[in-house]
Amino acid sequence: MKEEVGTTAILTVQDLNKSFGGHQVLHGVDFALGEGHVVGLVGPNGAGKSTIMKAVLGLIPTDGGTITIGDKPVSITSHQALKDVGALIEYPGIYPFLTGRQHLELYAARHHRAQNITSIVEALGMTKYINVSAKSYSLGMKQKLGIAQALVDHPKLVILDEPMNGLDPQAVKDLRDIIRKRAADGTSFLISSHILSELEKVADDVLVLNHGHIVQESSMAALADAGGAVYRIATADDEAAVAALAVADVTVSRTPAGLILRETGPDVLNTALAALVGRSIQIRSIEHVHRDLETSFLDMVAGDGKEASHK
Amino acid sequence: MKTLIGQELYKLAHRKGTWVGLGVVVLFQIAWALVVAKAAELMSVPDSMIGNYGGNSLLIFVMIASTAGIISSEFQYGTIKQLLYRQYYRSQVFVSKVCALLIQALVLKAVAIVVGFGMTLVTPALNAKVDLMGTYEKQPFMNAYWLAQAGNLLTMLLILSFVLLVSTILKTNAAAIAAGFIGYLVAYVASVTLLAAIAQWHWVKWNPLTFMLTETQILSPSYAKATLLSTPQMLTGSVVYTLLFGVLAYLSFRRRSV
Repeated sequence: MKEEVGTTAILTVQDLNKSFGGHQVLHGVDFALGEGHVVGLVGPNGAGKSTIMKAVLGLIPTDGGTITIGDKPVSITSHQALKDVGALIEYPGIYPFLTGRQHLELYAARHHRAQNITSIVEALGMTKYINVSAKSYSLGMKQKLGIAQALVDHPKLVILDEPMNGLDPQAVKDLRDIIRKRAADGTSFLISSHILSELEKVADDVLVLNHGHIVQESSMAALADAGGAVYRIATADDEAAVAALAVADVTVSRTPAGLILRETGPDVLNTALAALVGRSIQIRSIEHVHRDLETSFLDMVAGDGKEASHK
Repeated sequence: MKTLIGQELYKLAHRKGTWVGLGVVVLFQIAWALVVAKAAELMSVPDSMIGNYGGNSLLIFVMIASTAGIISSEFQYGTIKQLLYRQYYRSQVFVSKVCALLIQALVLKAVAIVVGFGMTLVTPALNAKVDLMGTYEKQPFMNAYWLAQAGNLLTMLLILSFVLLVSTILKTNAAAIAAGFIGYLVAYVASVTLLAAIAQWHWVKWNPLTFMLTETQILSPSYAKATLLSTPQMLTGSVVYTLLFGVLAYLSFRRRSV
């Protein structure tokens, strides 16, 4: 997912390091985000997702590395590049004495202000309560207001930290539609989310972060297929099939729906089929099982954790 | 910077507390003026007029509350990240807040002056006892009046800079309000003790509480015998402490993690 040919990187992060006290939370993080791309940032709690986002927004000092947005550097003392950036980090801040509309009016640029506010309010389905005091908002309403604040000025780069938190299914769909539409118009998004199934629907690419390292950067589809394809094999005699495959040194797991075979090498499927045919075990069906992002992610993080523990 | 100051004023204007504070100051002034008009033996009318019928003291309390909340409430509401991730520097955000506070203080001051003059002019019992063209403490009344307003502003800025410092160090505005109220009350209630301490140990005169008496000394230059500082020294010291607390408040704000 390095900068692609023909696209311009709006955000570039190089060798980013960050420690809190004696604990290093980011280890030489590198990535680039192209114009009009939607990148998902995933990782377990404490992996460093919010720290990366805060560093990109110049909110925290870093211990080395460079961040540039549109060729301009960003640091805690250099904020010029953030002019065209919208963000929602961790949770939406709410002034209890302002209405939703007043929140948007407060920070929205003057140019087309009323039009931009109306547009984002309608797109996020906030019309009914936008003129009500924000202190009475539910978690989901506050979340939508935070997202609206990030998007109202049509920034070139949008950073959203767990934007689906507290949103109902309709709001999640509305947000997904807005993101895809804005991305088609050239806006770039960096989004972290624990709801991987939703991220899968909206992101073009994914960065997997674990223990402060980028352990995978790829397209969404490539991540879903990471770890090899998975097949479900139905046979007339599963017990005999497991024994035959064991002799052929092929590992499968037995489930009520059939035998699950993970393609850990190029010849695994052929070897398995040859072993079953050689023992005259009837194969009723072979099905390619689609692996979702969540499974791939959990496998990857678990694998990385084991590697880390061996180090 | 203009945009940032406008945003800070927008927030102040939409806070109920801003208008409640203003209303309390005005009502307090009116009540004080009416009491003095009915019972002039309680307090001299010219003294009350100089102090804008209690408005000068009360607006300091209102401004302490406003100053204590202007930064700490951003942390309390979780809005500090939205405030700081934009293209502006922390120094600009800080200065815009200070400017908004100064504007609020000047507006309050102007209202207190208008109400003070208004009550004097429309209340016959007060009008009869204040000669605006006369003298006060051996100087023209209006001269003394404006000197008192300037001294009041200096004192207010000194205490507000301290409150701002406390509010950036501690995370709650309650602590900053308490520090401001206590500092202000100590300077006046315990001024006798403070002056006694200065008489005993001369170096004590350089402590910031002494400079809270600048307002008093401007009107009564003979106070210099007690503070052991000339009026120009008091003025300079007051400004220096205000700037020092202001710079320390900025440095503290700059270091705050979000």
